[in-house]
Amino acid sequence: MPERIFQLMLLAYPRDFRREYGWLMAQVFRDCHRAAQKGNKTLATARLWLRAVVDLIKAAPQEHWHNLRKDDSIMNRTLRDVIGLVGSLVIAAAAFVLLGYARKHDVQAILTVGHTLDALATVGIVGNIVTFLLVKAAKLNAVRAALWCFGVVAGLLFALVIVVGGRVDPQFSLVKIGVAYLISFVFWFGLHWIWANNRTPLSAN
Amino acid sequence: MVSRRTEPESLLPLRPSVFHILLALCDGDLHGYGIMQEVSEHTAGQIRLGPGTLYGAIKRLLNDRLIIEVDERPDPELDDERRRYYRLTDLGERVLKAEVRRISEMVSVAQRKRLIPKPRT
Repeated sequence: MPERIFQLMLLAYPRDFRREYGWLMAQVFRDCHRAAQKGNKTLATARLWLRAVVDLIKAAPQEHWHNLRKDDSIMNRTLRDVIGLVGSLVIAAAAFVLLGYARKHDVQAILTVGHTLDALATVGIVGNIVTFLLVKAAKLNAVRAALWCFGVVAGLLFALVIVVGGRVDPQFSLVKIGVAYLISFVFWFGLHWIWANNRTPLSAN
Repeated sequence: MVSRRTEPESLLPLRPSVFHILLALCDGDLHGYGIMQEVSEHTAGQIRLGPGTLYGAIKRLLNDRLIIEVDERPDPELDDERRRYYRLTDLGERVLKAEVRRISEMVSVAQRKRLIPKPRT
């Protein structure tokens, strides 16, 4: 029973850390618990739990912070970073150009996915710049930073479009816009994830 | 990347928990609980490492290559096979010595300023 409670407490640690050291921590706790059963049982057990809770409060946030600051992310290589950022901005700009062309020449085939192109371009430009700056300035893990940045940027832009678009566009469709921002989030985060998980020899510079 | 730093001074000052873990491993290989007991013993119970602090420090010491995991068991019959034993590396020993030197110098300054008495020879 005490070990089960301790294992529940371990959920406060990052998953990777838990996977690597969780069972070892549980083993150490078991040893400590066994030692506490000798002598003054109640007092020793109370002390053990108190120490375990204090340790959890101290160590779990520290592990989350270290996890966030892992420098084995893709963005610790300047050349790769610049290629990634420029590539992303080119994709966003291409979406804008395509959308502009479709509007000018009234190309319905493109305009049907116009909301998505719009979302791809805006989320791409803002999200990539914010992610790049955050990763460079605070040395955060690039994939995690991308997840949060694109989530927040897509969410905020979506909210902004709901407020403004509803007033200016009579054919405004909440579902279409929502799907467009969801696609843009999945696209950009997916791109970062793939970029992070496919390290080319370029990263060895 | 931490592993590129080979100058012991670049890793100083050490956190108290890290210092005591390295000190505990000075006498030989130990597993997590063994380290915990050794630290508690040589600090007269003043420092008691919790499992999270202990393995958080061990993880970073492994990353920095100050310690390594070893397969050999001091006494396989007495020990649970699933335990992981840790050993101080050469770099770990150099870092520990550098930290001890740093602390000794601080103690010397304190002695010169008569904050603490000089040890009797």
